[in-house]
Order: sequence, then C-alpha cells, then structure tokens
Amino acid sequence: MTRKVLAVCGVVAVAIAVATICACGNMLRASKYGMCRMEIAPDSRQAPAGSMPSAGEELWIIEKPDQPAQADPNAPGSGSLMAKLPDAEKEVPVPLKHTDVKASISGYVATVDVTQQFHNPYETKIEAVYVFPLPTNAAINEFIMTIGDRRIRGIIRERQEAERIYQEARRQGYVASLLTQERPNVFTQRVANIEPGKQIDVNIKYFHTLTYVDGWYEFVFPMVVGPRFNPPGSTGGIGAVARGSSGASGQTTEVHYLKPGERSGHDISLAVSVNAGVPIEEVECATHAITKGGDPREVMTATLSRLDSIPNKDFVLRYKVAGKTIKSSMLTCRDKRGGFFTMMLFPPERLAALKRAPMEMIFLLDCSGSMNGVPIEKAKTAIEHALKKLEPGDTFQIIRFSNDASQLGRAPIAATPANVWRGLAYLASLRGEGGTMMIEGIKAALDFAHDPKRLRVVSFMTDGFIGNDDEILGEVHRRLGDSRIFSFGVGSSVNRHLLEGLARMGRGAVAYVGLDVSGGREVDLFYDRISHPAMTDISIDWGGMAVVDVYPKEVPDLFVGRPVILTGRFNGSGLATVRVKGRAAGEARTVEVSANLDDPSASHGGIPAVWARMKIAELCDQGLRTGDADVPAQVKQVALEHGLMSAYTAFVAVDSLTRTSGDHGVTVNVPVPVPEGVRYETTVKE
Amino acid sequence: MKANAFAVLMAISLLLTCAVLGEQQQAAPVRFEWVNVFIDSKEKPLAAYQFELTAKSGDVKIAGVEGGEHPAFKEPPYYDPAALSNDRIIIAAFNIGKDLPAGRTRVARLHVQVSGVPEYAIKLVVTASADGKEIPATASVSQGEGR
Repeated sequence: MTRKVLAVCGVVAVAIAVATICACGNMLRASKYGMCRMEIAPDSRQAPAGSMPSAGEELWIIEKPDQPAQADPNAPGSGSLMAKLPDAEKEVPVPLKHTDVKASISGYVATVDVTQQFHNPYETKIEAVYVFPLPTNAAINEFIMTIGDRRIRGIIRERQEAERIYQEARRQGYVASLLTQERPNVFTQRVANIEPGKQIDVNIKYFHTLTYVDGWYEFVFPMVVGPRFNPPGSTGGIGAVARGSSGASGQTTEVHYLKPGERSGHDISLAVSVNAGVPIEEVECATHAITKGGDPREVMTATLSRLDSIPNKDFVLRYKVAGKTIKSSMLTCRDKRGGFFTMMLFPPERLAALKRAPMEMIFLLDCSGSMNGVPIEKAKTAIEHALKKLEPGDTFQIIRFSNDASQLGRAPIAATPANVWRGLAYLASLRGEGGTMMIEGIKAALDFAHDPKRLRVVSFMTDGFIGNDDEILGEVHRRLGDSRIFSFGVGSSVNRHLLEGLARMGRGAVAYVGLDVSGGREVDLFYDRISHPAMTDISIDWGGMAVVDVYPKEVPDLFVGRPVILTGRFNGSGLATVRVKGRAAGEARTVEVSANLDDPSASHGGIPAVWARMKIAELCDQGLRTGDADVPAQVKQVALEHGLMSAYTAFVAVDSLTRTSGDHGVTVNVPVPVPEGVRYETTVKE
Repeated sequence: MKANAFAVLMAISLLLTCAVLGEQQQAAPVRFEWVNVFIDSKEKPLAAYQFELTAKSGDVKIAGVEGGEHPAFKEPPYYDPAALSNDRIIIAAFNIGKDLPAGRTRVARLHVQVSGVPEYAIKLVVTASADGKEIPATASVSQGEGR
C-alpha cells in the first residue's frame, strides 16, 4: 500500500506543477536539439519567485539522450571553427586572445598587473571559462573588468555569494565576470555574455614577495597549469581533459588541453621593471628570450621577446645585486589600520663554516606519466649527481612511485662505491608511466624506522602534477617525525604550491630544476645547503617595536643561502634593532637587523596585502595540521577585511548598464597547451 | 480504512506542495540596476571625496564600481572592503591633478543586485580641494536598469 500511496503523492505533485505552468499560459515547443523551450507570457508575472521564470524569460527543459550525442562541429569550443594553416599545425580560435603582464619590483616586493583579453570569435554569444595559474603567494586585491572604455572594479565577496550574483547576472543577460580560487596557485576566470565580435578585458593586480635563492632574487610568472593526476574516487581535484571534453575527468575543476598539432592564437606579452634599491650586477632568464633595458644602477627592465610568446612554461627572471653580503632588511607600511612590516631574514654567514652530521638520504622519484621524457631524465641526472656526492658515513635509499611504490633495497644502504654503482644501475632502469599515487611514495619514504645516528633527508623529485595537494601535505605533516624534506620541482611549469608546501611541512627547502638548466648545479647548491647545519630554535627580540600577529608563527629553520620572510603588524616609530636568536651545531647564534620605521624609502603600499596573504597561508596550514573547522571562517574574515582573493572569497563584476539579448549562450573553455616537456598522451584524458 | 489513509496522505501531499510554493513566493526575485552618484561642489574644484551609500529599503548587494564622467574621476574608485563585510558601501577617490571638475558631476556609478524596491540614501563623508582643504558639497543619486 505504501508504494501505491507514494506513487499517488508523486502524481498529485506533478499534476499541481503542470497545472500551475498551464495556468500561466506558457507555450511549449520542441527544438531540434531534443530540448523544449518555454516562453513565459506576460501574465506569468505573478508566478512564485524562484520557482518560475519571469515574463519574457525562457525555460529550457533538456532531454537527456540515451546515447551521447555527437559534438556539433559548428558549436563553439568543439574545434569546428579551426582554420587550417599552411603547416601541419591547426589553429583553434579561443575566447582568450592575449595576456599582458606588467610587473614592477621594488626591493623584494613585486606588484603585478595581469590583463586577460577575452573576445568572441564565434557567431553566438558565449561564456568564456579560463583556468590559469598565478604565483602561490600572490595577494590578489584588485580586479577590474573593461568593456570598451568603461572600467568596472570588481567586488570581493564571500565565494558562494559572488557565484550566485554572477550566475544571476549571466542568466539575466548582463556582462559579468567572476574570479575564483581553486588552489592557492590555480584560479578560474569566467566572463559571461560576450557577444559575437566583442572584447572584454579583465585586469588582475597582485603583490608578492620574491624568493632569494643562493645569491639570486627570483621573479616567477607561471603561464600554464600542468595536467594533474587525481587519485581514483576523488572528485574535488583538478582534471586534465582534451579540448571540448568537459566532464571527462569527473573533477570539479578541469583544464582543457590542446591536442598535439593544435595551437591557439592566445599569446602573452610580459615586461618587468626592477628597482632593487642597489645596483643590479647580473640578470638572467634561462626559460625565455628577453630584451634587457633600463639602467642597472637604477631601474632595470626585461621584456619577453615576441618570438617566445607561447604561454606554455614558467617565466623565471633572476638577478643579482651588488655587494658581497646581502643583509636582512625590513619594509614597512602604515595606514589607518596601523603598521605592517615584512622582513627578509638571512642566515648568519658563519653557518657555512660548520660541518654536517651523517645523513640517511632518501631519494624519492616521481615516475608517473607526466614525468615521462625530459623531466624524468633531468631528475635522474640530478640524483646521479647527488649519489656521487654522498660521504662515507651516509646511507641512502632510492624510492620510485607512480601507481605504486618500490625501492632499491629493503632498507637504506651504506654509501660505499659499490652500493652507489648499484644505485646508479637501479636509477637507470626507471621509466615514467602510470598515475601519481604520491601518498604511496610518502609512506615509503617516511614510515620506516629512523636511524638514530643519522638525520633522514628526503630529496623529493617531482613535477607536483596532482590534484589532491592538501591531502598530501596533511599526510607529510602526520608522518614526518624527525625527517626533513627537500623538494625539487622538475619541469617547466611545476606545481609550486605543492613543492613549497612539501618543503615547508617537511622543514626543508625547495629548489627547481628547469628543463633549460643543469640539474647538477641545483644538486650542488642543495648539497651546500644540507652540508651545513641550519640555524634552528629561532626566537626574535623585536627591540623597540611593539609587534603582534607575526607570520609564520613558528620561524622556519635558516639554511645557508636561504633567507625566510616574516611579516607582522607593529606600533612604534624611529630606529629599532631586532635580534634574531637561534642555535646552529649546538652553539647559540644571533643575527641583528636594524630598521628605521620612519624611512619612507623602506615603505611599500603592498605590505598589508602581503601580511594578510601570509596570515591566510598560515591559517590554511593550521587547518591541514589540526583539521580545525573554524579555519574557513577565519580565512574568509581576513580575506574580506583586506579585499583579498582566497579559497572562500571571490571577485565578481557586473555591468548593469546594458543587458544583452537572448539567453546566456554557450560556455567555451579556453584550451591551453600542455607545458613544455610534458607529453599529452600520458597525461590528458580524451 | 484504506480510503481514510489515502485521504490523509493526499491532504499532507497538498499541504507540502503549498508549503514549497509558498516558500518560493517569499524569496523576492533579484534584478540588477545602476546607481549614479553625483557630487556638486559648486564653484570649487573637487579633488577628493568619500561617501557612504545605504539602502533604506530593499536588499542591495554591490556588484561593481565604475568611475565618473570627468577625466579626473574616470578610473573606478576604491571601496572599503572591511566596511563591505559589515554591509556598508563606502566609496572614495582622489585626484591630485590640475584638471578637476567643479559644479555637479557624476563621480561614480555603482552596479548593484537588488531585490524589492530600494530607496537609497547617500552621506558625504568628506569632499576636499586639491590643497587638502575640506569644501562644502552636496550629493545625490539616480538609478536605473539596463536596457
């Protein structure tokens, strides 16, 4: 009887719904696409809000076909609008025409303006969706949408609210844009209701601190998101799919990749100006062709060559400043909220004279499909180089992982010449194929018993192309024990968020082995770093400064050649001497930093945003470590107060002046090339 | 007994359906409109302003800020994100150039998502001349929907 009653209830509910629709006097007609379009007549104005479209709107009832329909070759995004070029490459028209990047570096803080030029090369109205990378520590605090000569500043809002506003504006035919964060270094840009032939620009502005690596300041602009692997069963990752194959990965965010032999018209221009405050001695860019200009004693400029404008790898610009020793320094900013500072804290020089203790060196090598080809060869070269530098008291192990993990031997072995040869032979046999079950590698490297006589150092070689970043970082924190992780990003567009997180959680440091540089050089620098004890147990006496809210809360260990950046809020003025105390090789060490809190030349307007961004990063790390359920609310509060992008906030901009006609059109995902050196066949789902 | 049970379930079903429809009726539909903000500084050139916009009625969510008609205030002005998180819309801009508007000029256009019929109130927090001195001025708004 129950079944019968339920059936009757369902019939009654449907009957009421149908009766309501009919009473509104709507017309229903079938379309050739297997859908029904309903035009809402004016007398439907009194329909319940939210349940019924209002007058003049259309309701589409989409019938799901039994078999997947063949893609309409004339639909935007299906590739049918490709124009054949004289050579073998096919050009795919995409709604993202050009990206322009202008960066201005002052001291060690970069201010970056990114303009994405969207246009509609199709005959129907479109929504453009573009998944793109930015630096993992970018403090995005400005978003402007430009339509013709009108510029509309986007508003930071709680993410779900911003999404609702955007979807409503899109539905009602207004031009609108939405910027959301999928990972700290992966973002989605949506632009709705771009009419045929029209262009809409979106400008994003952010601040970030540069890294200082072994004597060089480094400015990085990532250009493409690498194809991520997601563990079976996951849905919240970042999927890698072939152009036009929406939904193929089953992940909430998808990056669409151009197939081999295809290219898009999307190109990039980039210009950097550097005012280091001191003369610049040397500039290099191993990743791209650049034109240098300006005056290295004042402001130096570097411009990306037009011949190198395909956005398929990270742009890395490095420069050295004059003087043998770079001193720790502080930048400040005061506004109505009070004082903010950042401090680049260098390790004491004398650390380089101290010797290290014996090590248990674990080489952890990512042998997944995305590492296939040049990346894995680079990584193997780096490990070969490292094996040969082991000292007699050391032990070592080589662990490979892809779908599973396996290793050289049951336990680490002594670094004798014979064993090193054995290790080299094992290394030579490794190939890149399969998935990236990184958790298996983490377990294999961290879960076995520690050697009490040696410090375990895990050298983790990977491109970081996974979608479950947070899960991996949480596991590293739980399993780390007394080990340290030194991560090596191998490739042209690696996942820097993961690699930096591995090093941070692993109390080590990160290095990058690009495809254009020698892996040996990076390994030499790595050995320099671990061949001397770090300065640990760091505490800070802030002198005359009244300091609060310093991030990171726990100051990381200082390695040779690797400063750390601290940020906080302060009160006070005049001169202050900050004393940084710690221990190295059992001895007490102190570093002094002088600061003039009133020095206008040491002021930078981006410091409050940098502070807020670091606070958000700290909160997110805290969430990974403790599972604290309050973290999202705390992140949201900081982000909203400072107008910053985060996982829980988003920028939305709506132009209410003009309403476009018709429905919101077709959604077109901007396809991107796979990063240089990465094979499409082994990484992208067709 | 079967007939009674059927009647009761029918009644429950109808009540549930009515409740759902009723709930949907309560959620007001949203639409988008623009709000032009004018400042009249009389004969004094306007170099800086700050205002707070509130809605006496209706639900208003700001979804974009555009600049004004005079080149000095053409760039989209800044909003206070901290105030926005407390449901306050505070907008400000300044220009230290020589070509500044005097008299009544549109300084900003706000794009908002609204439900109900909002009635706006504007409060000038400050208006200043190029030498940083406060100047008397009045503010007004006009609103409309996209064509």
